[in-house]
Amino acid sequence: MHGFAPSQRLSLGRKILQINWGLVLLITATAAVGIAMLYSAANGSWNPWATRQIARYGVGLVILITIALVDIRFWYRYAYLIYGILLVMLIAVEVVGSVGMGAQRWINLGVIKLQPSELMKVGIALALARYFHGVSAEDVRRIPYLLAPILMIGAPSALVLKQPDLGTALFLIMTGGAVFFVAGVRLWKFGLVFAAAGAAVPIAWSMLRPYQQKRIFTFLDPETDPLGAGYHILQSKIALGSGGLFGKGFMQGSQSHLNFLPEKQTDFIFTMLAEEFGMVGGLVLLGLYMLIMVYGFAISLRSRTHFGRLLAMGITSMLFLYVFINIAMVMGLIPVVGVPLPLISYGGTAMLTLMIGMGFLICTYIHRDVTISRHGGGDG
Amino acid sequence: MTGKRQAPPEKIRIEGDRKTAIEMGRNRLMVAGALFTAAFTVIGIRVIDVSVFSENTEPRYTRSIAKDEKHNGRADIVDRNGVLMATSLSTASLFANPRLVLDPEQAALKLATALPDIDVKVIEKKLRSNRGFVWLKRHLTPRQQYAVNRLGIPALNFQREARRMYPMGSLAAHALGFTDIDNKGLTGIERYFDKELRTRQDNMALSIDVRVQHVLEHELGVAMKKFSAIGAAGLVMDVTTGEVVAMSSLPSFDPNQPNAIAQDLRFNRTTLGVYEMGSTFKIFTTAMALDAGTVSLHGGYDATNPIRVARFTIRDFHAKKRWLSVPEIFMYSSNIGTVKMALDVGIPGHRNFLTTIGMMKPVAIELSETGSPLSPNRWREINSMTISFGHGLAVSPLHLVAGVSAMVNGGIYRTPTLIRRNPSETPVGKRVITAETSAKMRRLMRLVVKNGTGRNAAAPGYLVGGKTGTAEKVSGRGYKKKALISSFVAAFPMHKPRYVVLAMLDEAKGTKETFGYATGGWVAAPVVGAVVRRIAPVLGMRPIKETDPVRETLSIEISGKSARERRVATH
Repeated sequence: MHGFAPSQRLSLGRKILQINWGLVLLITATAAVGIAMLYSAANGSWNPWATRQIARYGVGLVILITIALVDIRFWYRYAYLIYGILLVMLIAVEVVGSVGMGAQRWINLGVIKLQPSELMKVGIALALARYFHGVSAEDVRRIPYLLAPILMIGAPSALVLKQPDLGTALFLIMTGGAVFFVAGVRLWKFGLVFAAAGAAVPIAWSMLRPYQQKRIFTFLDPETDPLGAGYHILQSKIALGSGGLFGKGFMQGSQSHLNFLPEKQTDFIFTMLAEEFGMVGGLVLLGLYMLIMVYGFAISLRSRTHFGRLLAMGITSMLFLYVFINIAMVMGLIPVVGVPLPLISYGGTAMLTLMIGMGFLICTYIHRDVTISRHGGGDG
Repeated sequence: MTGKRQAPPEKIRIEGDRKTAIEMGRNRLMVAGALFTAAFTVIGIRVIDVSVFSENTEPRYTRSIAKDEKHNGRADIVDRNGVLMATSLSTASLFANPRLVLDPEQAALKLATALPDIDVKVIEKKLRSNRGFVWLKRHLTPRQQYAVNRLGIPALNFQREARRMYPMGSLAAHALGFTDIDNKGLTGIERYFDKELRTRQDNMALSIDVRVQHVLEHELGVAMKKFSAIGAAGLVMDVTTGEVVAMSSLPSFDPNQPNAIAQDLRFNRTTLGVYEMGSTFKIFTTAMALDAGTVSLHGGYDATNPIRVARFTIRDFHAKKRWLSVPEIFMYSSNIGTVKMALDVGIPGHRNFLTTIGMMKPVAIELSETGSPLSPNRWREINSMTISFGHGLAVSPLHLVAGVSAMVNGGIYRTPTLIRRNPSETPVGKRVITAETSAKMRRLMRLVVKNGTGRNAAAPGYLVGGKTGTAEKVSGRGYKKKALISSFVAAFPMHKPRYVVLAMLDEAKGTKETFGYATGGWVAAPVVGAVVRRIAPVLGMRPIKETDPVRETLSIEISGKSARERRVATH
């Protein structure tokens, strides 16, 4: 039986009611924190960041709801196509992309500059969810069945690595890895990958650009170069340390307002938040993220389709990686890589990626009882 | 429809398969959730850690920068307040492996474009040699290094080296000394502490105060030029600790240019030079006599006639041709009176006294350049007589300053040092005269500045006291009348001395303002006065008011009736 079963069709009105408004509220609350921080970063001005961030959030919300309301079977059907388009865009970046911030990452669509590598994070989750949906639990254990999904991760990762953007490439691999894990790939295979990665470290090291090597050295001991490569992380730590329990107060952070802290509106915005709102502010934000992820897990568990479960898990993993990598980075737990704080950092593509991802999450929730057969149709 | 019978087992298998898939999917989800929670807990704890428990404040990092920069081969030298006086900078030195040079001529010509000051011929010859290593140029600037790198000549390489820099230039150059191109200390502190500077991690703090040092050098330089002297020496010493706060020998040199330092410029007049000090030695003779009790402040000697001994005639420069009290002898710098004081103490007493105040051996300061005093082999009466007014015994200016310190500080001799002493580490020292004698000497020295030959050394409010000295320089067998060592040694504030200041000019010539005189009172005393006026406020000393009662304690009866009566009585 092909096509959608009538019983699984939901009216638009019912779907809107089904939207997980609690989750939307959480997302909005987090974005509001981000807008407040951008207002503060501009020394109490809506320009240049806060207004544009609000506009982006608005656009993002529309996209989120649109994606959520579209039938999940539509997304299932076109998952590979979306992935393919993104892959083509990544290649296009290689060919025609304009150079920004020393790395070739942007594609100029005239109106907005798009970073296909960011969108690819969602693309990989979609494509892998679709792939593993069609593979039986037994087949998942067979290595030949894993070659295609590995290629799905490997191709965009290699392209991103070539840009060069080591952070995003690893991000893609880890997002894909999370989907692999939930799909049921045997643990020893992960062990094998880790072992291989460990063995490849010396080779990879020699392939890293000097600035990347320096970042890692600086991570290991930021005080070796406090005015050069270590400047960022040291200033960040000073800012975090000066926040204390309750912070210096909104718009009172001297490290960020006196411009000791570069990139305060983008990757290092958490530092500013922690300086102005202290430990309590930092933990509250972590709590907000935690709640969003709890929603993600619940949706994943609740989904009746394997596709939905894997997609929701991929999106949740993506959110987790964003938050964890960014915060661990600004606190000096891991080397500095260009990963923004989702919904908070200033930047269009990251916001868009997150909102699209959340759209798929809510879509999975709305269509939690829809079933898709292994070969694509609605079933039973 | 026939296939329908086979369908159920197929369907069951799929159902079962799906069940296990769902089961495992859930388990894996739970595991992932647990992992994420754990990771969030870690960063949550870290947030608490860095925001509440960290001590990441600005100063910690500035300290650690400084700490890192010290591993540069040789410890920094700082003054007593931590001002940098000597440090090491990283530089690059260019060397080559001539065996790998393809075209020496071409390479030398190319190098000359990057380093215009090199000799192309010499470089070419070096590059043609058969050795595996030749220095081409030491201590390149970063710009030069860049230029050489751009030439792209193979076989050239750079050695990271440290170069000694003296940010203060020639200031205190003789005390600091300098190093050769291999960073080996050649003179001064750099030489004396060469090994220690190589190994120690922290800064070496000198007793020198660059502010005082600057004032002393400046004033000495001005006087040297004004009076066309060939050289000058000056010292400022803390009488309570023995620390040398300023040490200057002019003409000086720039230790940053070790190759340009002429041998004679290295000569440290304050420690290596030994001079017959002249009348400043009367401080010791008078203190010795007062301490021995052979004369009192109220006593005196007849200075009417010059003393003739063998072929010498000892006469007074400011001859009064009458009986003089001890204060008068000191104030007018009477040679005749001083000689008589010394003779009353006797030869062994005189010699012992000068030995206890360190006049018979080099001063044990932290310098290699210390001169041995020139003392008579056989100490006869004539030696005692001339030494009493500062001839026949040559000592370094540092000897004099250390001795005078003991005379004014209550009678304790402390070995001078160039290393900062913590207040708790001040050595006990050695008592050489009684506190009472020391108090008398303070009043006598104050008198010289108030009413005597040292009036040019006055610094209002700082109660300077001192003694002039003018000695003819030895030339061959006799003395040169016109070549003088003019000096003034002073202490201040005299009611409770803290510093001794010495200014000495070598072969100063009189000017119109000094009425042609080049004596200590005319050329050296003004230097001391100017130095005190400038350094006392810097050192945090308050001027003493005109009405302050401490001034009374310094007053002295110059020649009261009682003294005259006693003279009549004794004769």
